[in-house]
Amino acid sequence: MSALLETRLSVDYPNKPGVLGDVRLTVSEGEMVGLVGESGSGKSTIALALMRLLEHKGAAIHGEVLFNGRDLLQLRAKEMRQIRGREIALVLQSPLASLNPALRIGTQMSEAWRAHASGAASKHWKVQALELFERVSLPAEESFLSRYPRQLSVGQAQRVLIAMAVLHKPRLLIADEPTSALDAVTQSEILELFRRLNREMNMAMLFISHDLLAVASLCSRIAILQRGQIIESGPTAQMFRDPRTADTRALLEAVLRNSSAVAEFARPESTVRR
Amino acid sequence: MSFKQKFALAILGVAVVASLGAGYLVQSSYSEQFRDAISAPPSARFWLGTDELGRDRFARLLYGTRVSMLLAPAAALLATLIAGLIGGAAGYLGGRWERMITAGVDLFLSLPWLFLLLAVRALLPLNTSPVMSVMITFLLLGCLGWAGPARIIRAGTRTLVNSDFLVQASASGVSRWRLFWRHLLPNLRPVLLAQFWISIPLFILSEANLGLLGLGVSEPLPSWGAMLRDLENYSAVLQNPWMLAPAVLLVAVVGCLQLLLGTEERGVSC
Repeated sequence: MSALLETRLSVDYPNKPGVLGDVRLTVSEGEMVGLVGESGSGKSTIALALMRLLEHKGAAIHGEVLFNGRDLLQLRAKEMRQIRGREIALVLQSPLASLNPALRIGTQMSEAWRAHASGAASKHWKVQALELFERVSLPAEESFLSRYPRQLSVGQAQRVLIAMAVLHKPRLLIADEPTSALDAVTQSEILELFRRLNREMNMAMLFISHDLLAVASLCSRIAILQRGQIIESGPTAQMFRDPRTADTRALLEAVLRNSSAVAEFARPESTVRR
Repeated sequence: MSFKQKFALAILGVAVVASLGAGYLVQSSYSEQFRDAISAPPSARFWLGTDELGRDRFARLLYGTRVSMLLAPAAALLATLIAGLIGGAAGYLGGRWERMITAGVDLFLSLPWLFLLLAVRALLPLNTSPVMSVMITFLLLGCLGWAGPARIIRAGTRTLVNSDFLVQASASGVSRWRLFWRHLLPNLRPVLLAQFWISIPLFILSEANLGLLGLGVSEPLPSWGAMLRDLENYSAVLQNPWMLAPAVLLVAVVGCLQLLLGTEERGVSC
């Protein structure tokens, strides 16, 4: 497998230098990589920096982001726009806030489609949108397209955003805490959806979350981010078996303790009193 | 809608219908002089009497209302559009541009409004046809009235610029230009509408101010401001109290608009 994305990334905000310090991430073609970190460790900054969406905030990005052999940081604004949504897509963490409240779902789908389709192809958005809605288990009906975001549930909104993200069959999907705002049932459905999309479209994924369990169930490789630095990265199984740093060990133990405590309740001969 | 607002709407409706149907309501035109009845008191023939040139005051009031009430919304539309572009651009571009535009707007607002209006109006040709003078007056109002709304629109844009849905749209590859027109502007609609409605009474009053000073709509075309100028003649007002009708109508229309705006602003923001 060849590397699809390879980064060496530092980010400074004007009033907060060193948000990210030399973050090295590698994602191969069709691979699912998890990025785990606590709140404030710079997870969302990575997602936005990779898409070069931080520039208007005055952030300075150094290093290189090699995508498919090209350094994204060197591209001109117009070339970068061609990459966004077509080669790399993004799903953000709060589904309802990520949809434009003033536009119908259909309008937003067609806008996302037309960003990379001109001329005759620009008219095909509806066919594409409905086909994708079918795939992400949304009602594939015209009436659904004329709804406004406020008429959707959170889970539906996240499915719409995922459909919008994979509209142009990107090679890499960056998901920034895509399941944090969802309840447990919807969360596992969305994880299953990601798994399926990865399989069917051979789409690589960078899954950013603080939820180690969700990441471990989805990704073959995990990187752990703390205070803007990657402190450890490796295959999921190896990390659980043999964590190298004390911080990782503490994180794993906390998660495992919780999940085994819950598993205890589920056993019929449970001795735990409550 | 409360009773007060229904009442206000009814009065506005009557005023609009009467001014639009002026041709059917009165026989005489606004400029026709009746030499046999100069400064006549109210009668069955002239409901509000005639002015010192023998023109039917009622006809002039109706046609004047038409001029004021048609052109104030036009000027408000112009001002809101300019404000939307300038304020929107300031909030959207941010940084140095925003500081420059904001400083410009503040400077503009610090100029005394009426003197600015007078100075600019005096610079433009004064000896024009009546229709031309109407155009000039309201173009001027529209071009000078954008600064206040622009500030509010800039603030509204500022809060939208950092929203998740705009980040999401640019992550889909939507261009910056399209992002502004198709994604940001629809969200500004409530603010723009509110500014539009608020500007209307302001411009009606401004036109009356200019007209009062003889710089508004020129004779023989009537407007509220020009008719208010007749009130300078105190003894004539005592003889014919109906001369106050334009003032009463002006106050009533502006008051009714304000009453309605209360709901309008809340109504559109949902």
